[in-house]
Amino acid sequence: MTAIQPVAALRTACRLGASESGVAVVVLVAFAVLPIFVSGYSIYILPQYMLYGLMAMSLALLWGFGGILSIGQAGFFAIGGYAIGICFKYVEFMNPAYMGLIVAPAVGALLAGVLGYFLFRAGVRATYFVVVTLALSIIVEQVAVSQSQWTGGWNGMYIPRMSLTFGSGTDISLFDDTPMFYFILCIVAIIYILLRWLVASKFGKVLVGIRENEDRVTSLGFDTSLYKTATFVISGAVASFAGALYGSHAGFVSPSLGGVLFSTSVVVWVAIGGRASLLGSLLAAIVVASLSNYLSALAPKYWQLFVGLIFVAVIIFFRGGVAGALSRSNRLRSDEAGRNG
Amino acid sequence: MVELLRTEKLTKSFRGLVANDDIDFTIEAGELRCIIGPNGAGKTTFISMVSGHETPTAGTIWFKGGNITGLPVHRIARMGVVRKFQTPTVFSNLLVYANIELAVLARNCPVRQRRARVLETLDLVRLSEVVDQPVGSLSHGQRQWLEIGMLLANQAELLLLDEPTAGMTAEETHSTGELVRRLVRDLNLSAIIIEHDINFIRDLRSPVTVLHLGRVLMEGSFEEIAANKEVRAVYLGEQE
Repeated sequence: MTAIQPVAALRTACRLGASESGVAVVVLVAFAVLPIFVSGYSIYILPQYMLYGLMAMSLALLWGFGGILSIGQAGFFAIGGYAIGICFKYVEFMNPAYMGLIVAPAVGALLAGVLGYFLFRAGVRATYFVVVTLALSIIVEQVAVSQSQWTGGWNGMYIPRMSLTFGSGTDISLFDDTPMFYFILCIVAIIYILLRWLVASKFGKVLVGIRENEDRVTSLGFDTSLYKTATFVISGAVASFAGALYGSHAGFVSPSLGGVLFSTSVVVWVAIGGRASLLGSLLAAIVVASLSNYLSALAPKYWQLFVGLIFVAVIIFFRGGVAGALSRSNRLRSDEAGRNG
Repeated sequence: MVELLRTEKLTKSFRGLVANDDIDFTIEAGELRCIIGPNGAGKTTFISMVSGHETPTAGTIWFKGGNITGLPVHRIARMGVVRKFQTPTVFSNLLVYANIELAVLARNCPVRQRRARVLETLDLVRLSEVVDQPVGSLSHGQRQWLEIGMLLANQAELLLLDEPTAGMTAEETHSTGELVRRLVRDLNLSAIIIEHDINFIRDLRSPVTVLHLGRVLMEGSFEEIAANKEVRAVYLGEQE
């Protein structure tokens, strides 16, 4: 008996390790202990990549689960960045960062809600929706350029690093990179858990149904346009929220943050990581952004080509991305888990 | 008997081409009805208007005394009028279980009862043994039953079955006929069935409505229809 127990424990650990939740726990622990071993630039830059990952998850929800591609996520991200910046300028009666972190997702949600309501209610096709989101990205960039009294135009906008206030004088400054690292790690982990819960809920199941066969879902009595609009609203709010944190972390936002180029990068991350995997998208954003950063110093001329080749290889060989390829081997088990859950 | 669905002068034209012309049709609660007619008679157009997939050009559709003309598909489905499409329309990449589960989720079923409801339904359509399998591994006939199962799990009161036996073997067709008869009898459902298979229609022993060129040519039992010269000329005659 006693000899079997460690084996059983090991087996359980392996099974947990093979599931998405297991990988998520390992990744979280790894990030949590990282500042003990590493300091300096990595601890400064990683939170920004985690926020890219948050934006990637907002697209994974929309594209991977709902089957709705958006090339406008960076537009929401930039809106969030500018929103918190404007709050820092004008809000004095409370912590401007808190205001920014409320206003940013609210504006993102409102914009997505209005766009989604009219487009999905009219039954617009997926391809046209992509074009509209592409336009959204361009419009955000143009507005950021033209409304310079608010945004600083081409020069961009400087944003102070936020701090946590509790109204009792015991404030926590996030000015140093390590506290900010942990703050953003916590936020990303919480939103990841909330999104995991969402896709496992009834809402998530209906969403997958819409991706697989929208006619059937409609014919079962679901108002699919409502579900699609709600998904776009959540996706836009998450991307804007990530953008607000990014703005306060990086200290600077400029019009190109909302541009098509950046929006396309998000699509690349999510495609590489696996669009039907929140964790895959999150990690792909962090890894690819880190790799791009590293390669751009190493091979300034060729790094984009390198990232492009990875993208093409993944699209050709694993259409479900890295996460899709990894989960294929134990699909039966995960299906079983999904059924019981 | 209680009137369940009634159409009044239901008309649909596609840019001048009249697909349905002044159709007056009534089905009672617990009734099984076949609609037959040669290709282009307007059978699918008729079903599509009832299910909300097409908006009538003129006329009215009453379901349980309420006017449902031109309502969106999902609202008509919520009332209990649910459609099975001509080609099996299921979630091919999902498990059999997940397919039925989505149908259950459409009706506010308490969380604890969902699983039981899904398994019950799979039992009714004889798919209990493939509950864990992906739909991709099912035979064509099983997919048709799965879609019928989705209608049941959706608590449909009026099933709209557009060629439920299309592409089935003779044996599958026979058991589908038994299944539909059993469901209508045991669950007190009603069904409108579009069919081409003469043996299937005869086995159902239900009243038949014949459509021709968008109009109701005649209504009656299978024997009456089969004996009618006009029907033989336009429909059965085609097959000889």
